[in-house]
Amino acid sequence: MKPKFLSLTVNDETHQLMVLPNRTLQDVLRDDLHLTGTKDSCGQGACGSCTVLVDGQPTRSCLTLAAAVEGQKITTIEGLAQGDKLHPVQEAFVNLHGIQCGFCSPGMILTAYALLQENPNPTETEIRKAISGNVCRCTGYAKAVEAIKSLAERGVSHG
Amino acid sequence: MDKFNFIGKDMKRIDTTSKATGEALFAADLTLPRMLVGKILRSPYPHARIKSIDTSKAEQLPGVKAVVTAKDTCGDRWGVFKYTQDQQFLPTEKVRYVGEEVAGVAAVDEDTALEALSLINVEYEILPAVFTIDEALAEGAPLLHEVYPKNINIHVKIDVGDVEKGFSESYLVREDTFSAPEDAYFQGEPYAVAAQFDQAGNLEIWMPNAGPHLKAKPLSNVLKIPLNKVRVRKITIGGAFGGRSEIAPADVICAFLARKAKRPVKIVYTREENTVCTRQAHSMVTKIKTGVDKEGRVIARDIVCHMDGGAYSSTGPIAVSVPFLCMEQAYRMDNVRYNGYRVLTNKPIRGMYRTHGRAFACGVDIQLDILGAELGIDPLTMRLRNARQTGDTTPTRSFVASCGMTECIQKTGELSGWQDKFGKLPPYHGIGIGCNSVQTGFPMGIRGGSQAFIKLNEDGGVTVITGIVDNGQGNDHMIVQIAAEELGLTPDDVQLINADTEVTPSDPGSYSMCETFIGGNAVRLAAQDVKKKLFKIAAEFFGVGEDQLMAKNRKIFVINDPEKTMSIAKAVRLGLARNESISGEGSYWPNVDSNREWVKNPFGQLSETFSFGAVIVEVKVDPETGQVEVLEAWAAQDVGYALNPKVIEGQFEGGFAMGGQGGMLSEFLQWHEGRVLNPNQLGYLVPLAIDMPKINNIIVETIDPNGPYGAKEAGMSVAMSAAQAYSGAISNAIGVYLKEFPLTPDIILKAIEEKAG
Repeated sequence: MKPKFLSLTVNDETHQLMVLPNRTLQDVLRDDLHLTGTKDSCGQGACGSCTVLVDGQPTRSCLTLAAAVEGQKITTIEGLAQGDKLHPVQEAFVNLHGIQCGFCSPGMILTAYALLQENPNPTETEIRKAISGNVCRCTGYAKAVEAIKSLAERGVSHG
Repeated sequence: MDKFNFIGKDMKRIDTTSKATGEALFAADLTLPRMLVGKILRSPYPHARIKSIDTSKAEQLPGVKAVVTAKDTCGDRWGVFKYTQDQQFLPTEKVRYVGEEVAGVAAVDEDTALEALSLINVEYEILPAVFTIDEALAEGAPLLHEVYPKNINIHVKIDVGDVEKGFSESYLVREDTFSAPEDAYFQGEPYAVAAQFDQAGNLEIWMPNAGPHLKAKPLSNVLKIPLNKVRVRKITIGGAFGGRSEIAPADVICAFLARKAKRPVKIVYTREENTVCTRQAHSMVTKIKTGVDKEGRVIARDIVCHMDGGAYSSTGPIAVSVPFLCMEQAYRMDNVRYNGYRVLTNKPIRGMYRTHGRAFACGVDIQLDILGAELGIDPLTMRLRNARQTGDTTPTRSFVASCGMTECIQKTGELSGWQDKFGKLPPYHGIGIGCNSVQTGFPMGIRGGSQAFIKLNEDGGVTVITGIVDNGQGNDHMIVQIAAEELGLTPDDVQLINADTEVTPSDPGSYSMCETFIGGNAVRLAAQDVKKKLFKIAAEFFGVGEDQLMAKNRKIFVINDPEKTMSIAKAVRLGLARNESISGEGSYWPNVDSNREWVKNPFGQLSETFSFGAVIVEVKVDPETGQVEVLEAWAAQDVGYALNPKVIEGQFEGGFAMGGQGGMLSEFLQWHEGRVLNPNQLGYLVPLAIDMPKINNIIVETIDPNGPYGAKEAGMSVAMSAAQAYSGAISNAIGVYLKEFPLTPDIILKAIEEKAG
């Protein structure tokens, strides 16, 4: 296997990379671009910790080959805040205690962001369904759901 | 004016902003210059003698920088207690479970490291193995360790009062047996460790831990280097739940590899390795015999519990004891006998788990329900009649300084509408209650107390230095909140240096629910020490007594003459100019009986105080599928005093999810000849957001006389009560008392079918 040239647009920056074609987006983000906010927890696309947005869609970066998303717009958790100003979704998770150990938080926050982009006023059931691909072992989800609900109620969905 | 500025208030945590942005670094996120990838070769057999290990081909593979086997170690045996030192980090003679560490490799990349593992040739002589408690105890069964005859690792025996007389005086006596298989911790973060040595032989090491000092001492022992050369660094930790308190073979292997390769090494576990090769929770079979009077009060109880401990001791003596101790704290009884056995099998190692002992706790509570039904007394009344009270002494002689058990039961009962529901719900609807109690730190040798330092800066800000570690529950914030409160500062004025063994003093670790009570008290005392020094300076300046002063909003002021103020910064500068020490120290050692020992002398004050909890759930069971829908839940705990109520609610909710929704409905490990069949995320079913019911949190405060501001601990009694509420409610819904857990659809359907005949 030989490395291939790859141009990857992550958080509005374009990176020119040489990567082996079998490498996952998760590995390239974490190891080559040092965007370690994208977490690796299960390695089989079942826990949601590695979620990133590809053209706005929540995507499991552990099951996605880096080469498959060339030319698409990738957003990781590091790309959500505007400088020091947290995105309202991040702010709600912090203020309303949606985060404990924080390992699942990047993936869950990105999933919540994508949900609110698509559906600015989700019901509680829609919220719970949306984040049911993001496994959290600490919170029992209650405060994360409350955080997302607070944004739905305020109509805050755009970053 | 509020009594406190920050204590008792809902505050956002200091650590969560960096977790929301991806900035927080976990061990697997670390990169060091020239860092190598470490991988571990594991035993494919449950029980085998190691005849030889040939690493020559692996060593010759280009890119391999170090290979370690038992030959590189001194063969030390690790154990939490002197009498349980039975685990070698790399075994010299035998492997005892599928997944046990045999060798480690460090290479330039993952592919090379994995290829090197495949080139290590281990010659094994396969030995007969035991996979269940019965097999392990059978006559002539193969022994895992020569030092444990009959494979009995630990036997805890407690006998208080006159149990036989108690049974003979009881109105009703019954005996039932309850069982449950192993559960997995399933922390979000798979285990990871990174290590490097400098030229002077100092080890720097990062890993998820429940106490950096608990990691440093065994590392010092096994690496044969002084403790001050072992620098366990602070790192963000992705959950522990009891599973990250001990030294792990990966820590030692990583350090050995780094020393041998003279380069940093990082080992990151897969999800499967985390499930199989860190710790698991014990499976157990619990036989409970209880005698009650006509009013349902327990007169006598006799419990025999067998726990499958896997291949090594780990925290065995504690694990055998804790389910019993929680029970004797939660419920009154004068005559009680306990025989707890931890049995060794050729399965992975079991440790203490957040919701340790579901078969035990559910057994105690279900049996109260059964006894109550026979007496015509409802489960809630049964709990009230047996509830522990303030001022009691437990059978093993712990004084209970504060106890809100009755209030927890009453409040969950009122808010759930228990009176209108129990026995009055439609078919296949049910309601159930569970209760329990936990410790706030128990003695473990020198790891009993906590110390803290506070350094004042010239601008009036402070740096708090403590060994307290945060596993995700919010301990970092708790430290800052207490320091800011005591010193009249804001949390922004408080810098935190913690969980780093190079600079922080001894601390028992985030284990046994002790960080708020013990670590929090130490920080508070350190802050009071600083405050006393500052007040002495200000009192002289204003010409008033020190007791006339108060600190608030970064100022010291005279209480009766609030115009007279001095900034804390000025007091600091005055102190420095007078060449006076203005640093503070605090130390807290809990009031526990140092002669108490888990096996030899299980009597005396176990923990300085205890928390108490009650959980009620209402369920609907689908009789066609056996699926359970939880309609609503009510969770109450006597937390002493709620330092940060939203954090406490989060602990209730998380503990409820783990112990109840996961622990009672879906979580268990499946086996084939010592091999875990469901170690991954798709096989081991932890609760999802869509599964969870509405949880009503009820914080009960009893203001413990010795806790910091009256606080005890923040949610473990809820975590330890949730399973019982589920099993009670489901039993109530289907009209069958269930005794095998967790209550998966097949168990529920079988019970429904058997009832229908």
